[in-house]
Amino acid sequence: MARDYLPHTALSLRIDSGLNRFGEGLSFVWFVLLAVIVCNVTLRYAFSQGRIELEELQWHLYSIGFLLGMSYAYQADAHIRVDVLHENFRHSTKAWIELYGIILLLLPFIALILVFSVRFVESSWAVAEISMSPGGLPLRWLIKAALPVGFSLLLLSALSRLLRVWYFLFLQPQVEVVDAD
Amino acid sequence: MPINELLAIAMFASFIVLVFSGFPVAWLLGGLAVFYTGLAIVLEVDFDLATGIGWDYTSLTVERIWNVMENWVMVALPMFILMGLLLDRSGIARDLMNSFARLFGSLRGGLAVTVTVIGLLLAATTGIIGASVVLLTLLGLPAMLQQGYDKSLATGTVCAVGTLGILIPPSIMLVLMADRMAMSVGDLFLGAVFPGALLGGLYIFYILMVGWLQPEKAPVAPTEPLDWPAVVDLFVAILPPAFLIFSVLGSIFMGLATPTEAAGVGAAGALALALFKRQLSFAAAREVLQETTRTTSYIFAILLGATAFSLVLRGLGGDQLIERSLLGLPFQPSGIIIAILCVTFLLGFFLDWIELTLIVLPLVSPVVSNLGFDLIWFTILFAVCLQTSFLTPPVGFAIFYLKGAAPEGIKVTTIYRGVMPFIALQLIGMLIIFNWQAVVTWLPSQAYG
Repeated sequence: MARDYLPHTALSLRIDSGLNRFGEGLSFVWFVLLAVIVCNVTLRYAFSQGRIELEELQWHLYSIGFLLGMSYAYQADAHIRVDVLHENFRHSTKAWIELYGIILLLLPFIALILVFSVRFVESSWAVAEISMSPGGLPLRWLIKAALPVGFSLLLLSALSRLLRVWYFLFLQPQVEVVDAD
Repeated sequence: MPINELLAIAMFASFIVLVFSGFPVAWLLGGLAVFYTGLAIVLEVDFDLATGIGWDYTSLTVERIWNVMENWVMVALPMFILMGLLLDRSGIARDLMNSFARLFGSLRGGLAVTVTVIGLLLAATTGIIGASVVLLTLLGLPAMLQQGYDKSLATGTVCAVGTLGILIPPSIMLVLMADRMAMSVGDLFLGAVFPGALLGGLYIFYILMVGWLQPEKAPVAPTEPLDWPAVVDLFVAILPPAFLIFSVLGSIFMGLATPTEAAGVGAAGALALALFKRQLSFAAAREVLQETTRTTSYIFAILLGATAFSLVLRGLGGDQLIERSLLGLPFQPSGIIIAILCVTFLLGFFLDWIELTLIVLPLVSPVVSNLGFDLIWFTILFAVCLQTSFLTPPVGFAIFYLKGAAPEGIKVTTIYRGVMPFIALQLIGMLIIFNWQAVVTWLPSQAYG
């Protein structure tokens, strides 16, 4: 995509390819979710047996999919940007925006969620919280933990991007040559 | 004006300004929430100005995210995305296009009508403007150009139909709107049926008129006449996907299945169709799953960012501010609605429906319901307004998606000329919906009455 102008460093390459492989594996979760929904529908309509645990499993899978997928989407640069002006910016301008954006906006947001979601999981763990519905799934803290885990992966992805931006702006020689579109 | 409301205004203004930097919208929203919480605390602690929020308040974001996680209806969203991608990647969409082209090929403007019908059927399953415009650009545009269609007419049709897709159920935009407005997804889908059909009908009427009045703009293809084998082919190609879409919608409308169940079964049906046609390799299936992850994740990332943003904006009194200023306008209730729609239209120039649905819609909906208007009606009107906005130069999203995917030699000005008549049609459609609420409200009232 548009941001291939950023050079990779050895470390960022390893992080990104790791996240990429992880995201590709994670994607099978939608297939599993599909199977669970079909199972549940079959049980409900053919055998009039709604299964609470299957319903809960559905949103467990979906939460895992979108939370852990954020780092993968970020790594693949799939996140929505408003391109009206952006696509006409010089590479160095884009890199500066990226630098400030990651440091001033993305990292604080990740910090907010990480700090408070860890407490959130801890309190669930402390009271051994389980689903309120009869027949619901146990170990509520485990699914709640998907939130800090997802944001930790996002942190990793953000740091990798930051490394690339940093390298591009401050370490790479002859920036202006690369800058010529 | 109290300090917290000044902060709320500054917060919204910084979002509008910074969004142009091109930094991912999700992180911009989340980051601003943190930044303005910090600023509010500094003002309160160091300058003795009461702002009313602090970290305890902003940390509620985590609870809100948890509400999103355990929201069973939203599970429908990735499943609809998966279903749309499966129909697209397995070539089912292409077959549909070819069959319809034979059916309407001998009609003046028939190919453009084909693109419209296909667009309405397929866009229904994607519900993402970018995806449906690109899909139609790749499928329909080369065929129309090859047949000698006027470039403006061809590109205008693709843009308009591609954006209409976000309104046609089962669209993921409507799922998300229903969630934000605490409505039933089924009601909102039903409400969108007639407005969608109305707009689609207007498009087809316009295209046929052009074909009749200016035949050189929409030449007919020298196709062979329809014979029985061709008709059979046609039905073989059309029936399965049409059955799939109608059964998904039907089961939701009849209250037989929840949107989640319908979406899951619909995706399973699309998978079965693709496997049956032997047109889905393992590699293609993996790619579809990965794209589902990327699309779902970026939508939900914006949802999480917008959750934090709206929470802080609300904490600063932004919602009361908006309510007060809207109700303070010296207009009739209907005038206030028009004012809201105009602002939405302008915001739609540079914000996608996701941000507008998540941030603006919940801010204005209490006002609308205070004024005594039907919320389903308003939501649909809001959606049509957004759709028009995406079509409108100079910065309509649809135009850029089309430009990006179109073959060489299509100028932006050509597209501008092409979308103009469709914008006029949109305005007619909006006027009708605005003046006859029943276009939206009649069907939902019948369903469960």
